[in-house]
Amino acid sequence: MEKLPPRKKNPRPRLRTHMRGAKRPPRIPPGVLFLAPGLIGFLVFYIWPFFISLGYAFLNKPVNGSFVGLKNFFDLFHNAAYRKGLGNTLRFIGISVPVNMALSLGTAMLIHKTKRHKELFSLMLLVPLVIPSGSMVSFWKALFAYDGALNGFLNTLGIAKINWLNSQLAFFVMVVIFVWKNLGYNMVLYLSGLNNIPKDTYEAAWVDGAKPWQAFRHITLPGLAPTSVLVLIMSIINTFKIFKEIYLITGGYPHDSIYTLQHFMNNMFASLNYPRLTTATTVLVVIVALFTQTMLRLERRAAS
Amino acid sequence: MSRHKGIATALLLFLLGSLFLFPLIVTFTNSFMTEAEIALNYTSTLTAFDLVDGIVEKFQQIRLIPEQAGFWQYAEVLIKQPSFLVLLTNSLKITLPVTVGGLAVSLLTAYGFTIWDWNYKEAVFAVYIVVMLMPLQAVLVPNYIVADALGIKDSYLAIILPGIFSPFGVFLMRQSMKGIPAAYLEAARIDGAGSWYIFWYIMVPQLKSSVAALLMLTFIEYWNLVEQAVIFIGDYTREPLSVYLSRIAEGRMGLVFAASCVYMFLPFWFLLIGQKDLEKGIELSGVK
Repeated sequence: MEKLPPRKKNPRPRLRTHMRGAKRPPRIPPGVLFLAPGLIGFLVFYIWPFFISLGYAFLNKPVNGSFVGLKNFFDLFHNAAYRKGLGNTLRFIGISVPVNMALSLGTAMLIHKTKRHKELFSLMLLVPLVIPSGSMVSFWKALFAYDGALNGFLNTLGIAKINWLNSQLAFFVMVVIFVWKNLGYNMVLYLSGLNNIPKDTYEAAWVDGAKPWQAFRHITLPGLAPTSVLVLIMSIINTFKIFKEIYLITGGYPHDSIYTLQHFMNNMFASLNYPRLTTATTVLVVIVALFTQTMLRLERRAAS
Repeated sequence: MSRHKGIATALLLFLLGSLFLFPLIVTFTNSFMTEAEIALNYTSTLTAFDLVDGIVEKFQQIRLIPEQAGFWQYAEVLIKQPSFLVLLTNSLKITLPVTVGGLAVSLLTAYGFTIWDWNYKEAVFAVYIVVMLMPLQAVLVPNYIVADALGIKDSYLAIILPGIFSPFGVFLMRQSMKGIPAAYLEAARIDGAGSWYIFWYIMVPQLKSSVAALLMLTFIEYWNLVEQAVIFIGDYTREPLSVYLSRIAEGRMGLVFAASCVYMFLPFWFLLIGQKDLEKGIELSGVK
């Protein structure tokens, strides 16, 4: 029989057990370590500077300004450019978001029903989402200019020239470009929402003699309620992004009907009017915070 | 009957899709035209010949098929005008760090939100959502303040760092992580796996589609940079392509079409290879 090696005498493990509980540092939940870098970055780059900038909202000028209380806020609401910008932005959200939701829902329902080439159809509608705004500027200009191709086409029909980019109609050009760009995103969301509605529900309804619009009204729409909340949030984010196109096509001072809140804020930044810009931002933060709270509450209700 | 209906639906969708693709197709085919043909199409100035022919009004024309197709404009853009390649590199220098860094930060932060329950978690997350909903102009002054404080005002870092910590990625990744059953993570924990192990070997591999989608969406967003470039970059040689394209649009249309095609190639290619993932990622962002 082979001799077993002598057991090593190692007092360390025992010592460690002995010390447990006495000198152990407080346990950090592992989540904190994962959360910390991102949260610190978020605080440093968004939250902290926002509170610093908030100071400007109560000063009369950016350098060596003195405290003026709420005067900037009253001035802001009397500022014609701000009111125009805010009004146009709200009007744009109010019109383009429902239009886009309705069209993307309609398209999603058509694609949902087709049996072949679903992939191809969604690809075609998703393409505008990925194309950089700068790439399309010359096309939009050639199409909508006063001497542009659209007016050329209308001319052959005997319709007089329309000033698409420099009249009230510019607003609808903005809506068209918005729908072109964002229909695909919403369509994908609706398509997955439609796939989540069980087929049996419809079959039961057909057996009971339901008409198509009744099925739509009582099965499809309620079934899509949770999806719609998200579509709404994403659509609003995307309405702000249409500024890129509008800015590249028409510059910093476009026609009144498409002068949005972002134009106002952009121009205030360019002219170094930080107090006015920060005041406008603060008002927007309040509006968006109230909106978010309402949406989260709605989402919870739709989910239950 | 229903077969006919199916064909009609498919036809309708195909027409709609073609309408959506039309601006791209025009940009693509026009990039192969000669500068002379482009100049002829995109002008409304009357010439002596027009007057002789009795034409009193002319419009710009969007034509699909070039009379003479060739790579003239591409040669101009890619070989004769090195400034274009410089701007393309500028776009890459901003986009790549934001895309990669943003993904890392979003995954870690979202995982932190997922595994750690604390009192103010949902309140803090609501702040993320509020910032996510704000238009870019609203964070310009805050961005400027930080950039000034850190001394990176004149560097791309002024655009890149806020991009990396932007809330959208965290939102998307957290939504995706909600779709992964807690039982998986719990089972691994009982088997003695640490948080890092669970994150890297259990969580991340299941998020492939969302990760691909976030990469694509971030890339597209920063490839398409306009606002920050207008504000932070005064120097023409340091601009990204997006701003440059709108500036040279007058006069050198042919060049713009070719440059636009080069510019949209990357995101377009990503969509072709990653359509499924992009759709999956968009869907997952809607998971409760």
